[in-house]
Parts: sequence; C-alpha cells; structure tokens
Amino acid sequence: MTQDSYYFIEKKDLQGFIDALTLKMSVFAPVRKGRGFRFEKLKNKQKLDLNGYINTEFPPKSILMPEGEALVRYKESMICEVFDDVKKAVFAIRPCDVHAMLLLDKVMMGHGDIEEHYEARRKNLIVIAMNCTEAGENCFCESMETDRLYGGFDLLFTENGNGYHVEAGSEEGKKIIDDSAKLFRKSSGMPAKTKPGCTKKIDTAGLPEIMKKAANSSIWEDTAKRCLSCASCTFVCPTCYCFSLKHEPDVTDLKNGEVKREMDYCMLLRFSKVAGDYVFRQHRTERVKQFFYHKLVYGLENEGKNHCVGCGRCITECMAGIDITEEAAKVRKKYAKV
Amino acid sequence: MPKSDRHTYKPVPAEVVRIIDEAPGIKTFRLRFERPGDRKRFDFLPGQFGLFSLMGIGEATFSMCSSPREEEIEISVRNVGNTTDAMFTMKKGDLIGVRGPYGKGFPLDVVKGKDVVIVAGGIGFPPLVSVLEYLLFRRKDYGKIWVIYGVKTVDDIVYRYKGPRWRKHKDVTITTTVEKKCREWNGCTGMVTDHIRKLKINPANTAGFSCGPPVMLKFVSEEFQKLGIEPENIHLSLERMMQCGIGKCGHCNIGDKYVCRDGPVFSLAELRRMQEDVW
Repeated sequence: MTQDSYYFIEKKDLQGFIDALTLKMSVFAPVRKGRGFRFEKLKNKQKLDLNGYINTEFPPKSILMPEGEALVRYKESMICEVFDDVKKAVFAIRPCDVHAMLLLDKVMMGHGDIEEHYEARRKNLIVIAMNCTEAGENCFCESMETDRLYGGFDLLFTENGNGYHVEAGSEEGKKIIDDSAKLFRKSSGMPAKTKPGCTKKIDTAGLPEIMKKAANSSIWEDTAKRCLSCASCTFVCPTCYCFSLKHEPDVTDLKNGEVKREMDYCMLLRFSKVAGDYVFRQHRTERVKQFFYHKLVYGLENEGKNHCVGCGRCITECMAGIDITEEAAKVRKKYAKV
Repeated sequence: MPKSDRHTYKPVPAEVVRIIDEAPGIKTFRLRFERPGDRKRFDFLPGQFGLFSLMGIGEATFSMCSSPREEEIEISVRNVGNTTDAMFTMKKGDLIGVRGPYGKGFPLDVVKGKDVVIVAGGIGFPPLVSVLEYLLFRRKDYGKIWVIYGVKTVDDIVYRYKGPRWRKHKDVTITTTVEKKCREWNGCTGMVTDHIRKLKINPANTAGFSCGPPVMLKFVSEEFQKLGIEPENIHLSLERMMQCGIGKCGHCNIGDKYVCRDGPVFSLAELRRMQEDVW
C-alpha cells in the first residue's frame, strides 16, 4: 500500500471506532467467555474488552461456515438455495487465523469448483486483523511463517504504546477509516514488526518428505493409543473445513424444511462410514495419521501451503496432551536420516 | 452476481418413469428430468456419479447404469440406509432431486482400440453397465469385450433381462458367477478372480475395468497384473462416503486426493501413489 495507507488511533478512541462500525454492519470481535475469548457478534455499543486477549478458543471459521447454516430451503415442491450476502466484519483476528482463512479460500473456492455459500460470506467479510505482541503458550506461528501478514486484510492493527498503528490493505479498509476520520490521524508508517516470541517450534525444513517416510511408522500407533477420538483438535483447527449435509424437515409441516451444513470431523469413526456400515478409517491410527498428514503434508500438495498455521489450539484442547510439534519432532528424529 | 446463477447444492427435479425390481433389496429407477435443459446439463460419461435426494430425508450417491446416449437415466439402488429406504417407497410419477454429474468416469477415449475386461462385484455393476452400453454402441472402436460379474447368491443377480441383448454382439463374452454352488444355478461358480485367471488375453492391448467391494478390487487388480495388464491400463471405481460431490466436504479423502473430484475412477498406477491405504 502507498504512503497514505498508514494511520494511528488512540486506545481511548477504539470503542468509538467499533461502535461506528457496528452501526453499519455485523461486527464479530473477541468477547470474554468462560476461560478465554470467542468471536461473537457485537451488540450495539457493546464494550470491547481486549485485556489479556491473545487468541480465541475457537477459530473464526464459524463466521464463514456457521454450524447448522441453511444451504437449501424447500417448501412443497419449491426448492431454493439460500445465500448469506450480508456485510460483516471480523475485528482483532490474529495473523495466523487470517492465513487460515486464505487457505480455506483456496479449498472452498479453488480447484475449479466454487462452494458458493462460502464465497458469498467471504466476499462480504471485512477483515480487520491485529498483530500479536505476545505469544500464547502453545503458539508456533513463527515456525509456520504465519506470524505476519503481507496481505489478506482490509485493516491491520498493531498495538503500540497508548494506541494502535493501522495499515489499510484495501480501498474498503480506507473507506472504513474515512468514515471515522476524526478518530484517526495519518501516520508515516508502521512500527517495525516484532516477533511474538513463540516457545514452541516445528522444524518444517523437508518435513513432508520425512513424514512420507514415516507413513507406516509405529509413532502413529503409539499416538493413537493416547488419542481419545474426541475430535477436539479438528473442532478447534482454523483450517479444518470438513462438513456434512443434513436434511432437516420442519417437524410441524414435513413438506417444508432445510438442508443444513454441519461441520464434521475426520477423527470420528463414523466420518468415513458408507452405506452398509463399512468404515474406511476403522482404526484410530488411520484417523490420527489423517490429521497430522493433512496438516503437514497433503495441504502443501493440494493448496501449496501448509494446512497448519501454528495457532496451537489443537495442543491446548487435546485432553490426552497430544502435541503436533512433539509429533513432528519425533518423526524428524526417527526418519530424517533414513 | 444474480442469485439465480448460483447453485452448489440445489437439485433439479426428475420424475420416476419406471421401477424395475432387480433382486431382493435392489431396484432400478428410470428417471426423466422434468426440464429437458436439465438433462443437457447432466451430460455424464460412464463411471461418473450423481447425487440423488429426497427432500427432508437425505441424499445418496449413485453411478448411472444407463447409456449416456439415452434421454432418461437409470440408477440401481440397494436398500441399505435411510435415503435408499425412502427411495424404495417411491412410485411411478414421484419426483426425486438430482445434481451432478460429478467426478471422472472410465477413460473410454484412452482405451480406444483395446480389448476390455470388465469385472463387477455385486452392486458395483451399475457404472460398468453404462460402460458396456457405451462400448457396444461404438463396437467398432473397441476390441474383444469380456464381462465377469460376480454375486454372492443367485438371488442377487441383476440386469438378467439385459444379458440376451449383450450376448448378441460379436466378441462379447459375459460370465455371471455365483460364489457357491447351489441347486438353483447351473452356471459358473466361484469368485470373480477364479474366472479372470482363465482368460486368454493379449495383455499389451487390454484394459481392465472393475468396480465392487474394496477387498474384491484389491484381488481383481492383482489378478489383472498376473495376466500382464499394466497398472496404467487397470481402472478401478472406488466407493467412499460422499456428501458435497465437489471436493470440499472431505468425507471421500484418500490421502491428498478426493475420490469425488479426482475419481471415483482411478488407474492402479494412481492408486499406488496414494498416501493412504486404499482398500
């Protein structure tokens, strides 16, 4: 972006900016819930509280693929496909999650077939990202090179002293600033990006080739013995996109109803079950392997990008303490020189 | 983009014009698209599949078993789940939702000039029936054709009424084999692999096509190779759970491949490069 793409806003003015934005569109922002934060649609004038916010427990993918969204609606013999073309914004989304979204774009809108429900939501989503100044205990975005953004945002906030430096990444981003012009002042540039300082790491150099050598490794059997098949890892992964189509008739009038999208998880036994009850990934080892290989091998081959963005949510949520960085290290140790 | 241009999951209506009771638990439905334009858009090749839905109940995947030339399409359905259970209650004149066609079919252009061995197991026969109809229509473009069709019991045999017409063609050998000997059957018995073994073929000029249960496909591909057919000339149609049909929902993943988008027909050479167990 050009020189005139940089701004500064003081922390005391942030609420005013969000309030103004909330009047124009639905704004999803981190809201304190339980032991952490979740992206929720802000109510009018809802107070923003980013104190202690590192990242949300659940990724922002639900803004683009909300659980249970209606895809097709039918009434008597009339069938119509429904799309959500409503303008929305996501505020304070972290760089790793923006990278995850860019990857979902490649999956859902690439390979010659466009999933138009995703596309409708994605086209209408304003991305207001916020750089990290601190890493969470399970973050390893620096290893995955997802700790900084080179695009994919409309606005990018970076905390600095008593305010935020803001970079506009699109014309639409600039317009949002113009609409609240009195809250922002022009700035000459962005502060030098500091590393969030991740303690966890994955050495990705040559990792797919090493993992291919480990395809029949006992490492996966050992990990599967610990895995509970609860699917938490896939539930919280910002790049896990698998889903099922569910027909749901209106119970008061069976002639009406909807076809809905329900997110689905390859860690579950039934995920690969076909008619006649044959299950292709019968053993937990195969399902555990699917997760790690999809994240670190297949994605590179299909989308040219790792499907792991290093957000660390799967580590945080795993009840069995399975850690993708440890698994990758184990594989490297055993198979790097084979 | 105007709303009417978008249709990822919306099916088009087709009318059930004929129902054939093939065997206990298996029916063939002949369908006519309500709007002729929809049939033009549903321009399929043998081995491709469609998603067939009953609103409020569900959607299921079937490969078409009719010739792509026909205006009406046919699917054969085994009653094994919710959706197929409801399909079995359909009567002539009822409507069913159709979307597709999806996936890659059998490489019929690539194998032009070759002899073709078709091996089908149970309800894996339908896509290969479409293949056979296609080959017979372009009879001069292909060499000898062998069809080996295996079933568990005599009761499971489908398309009995089609056999006589197929057999009229020159250089077409149809073998139906029942797994175990029984009083009601005086034809061939044994597994399909027993009959592949007996074939006298010219392996350099033969393609092998197969569809059936995973274990059968594994052994069929081994037998094909024992006959000397190259992995590039062995083409297998795989079954997987499919929901979206366009490579998004993930259910049909095998390694980095999507069976719905990259298949369902794969060459054995491709399957060997898969990064996950296929069978």
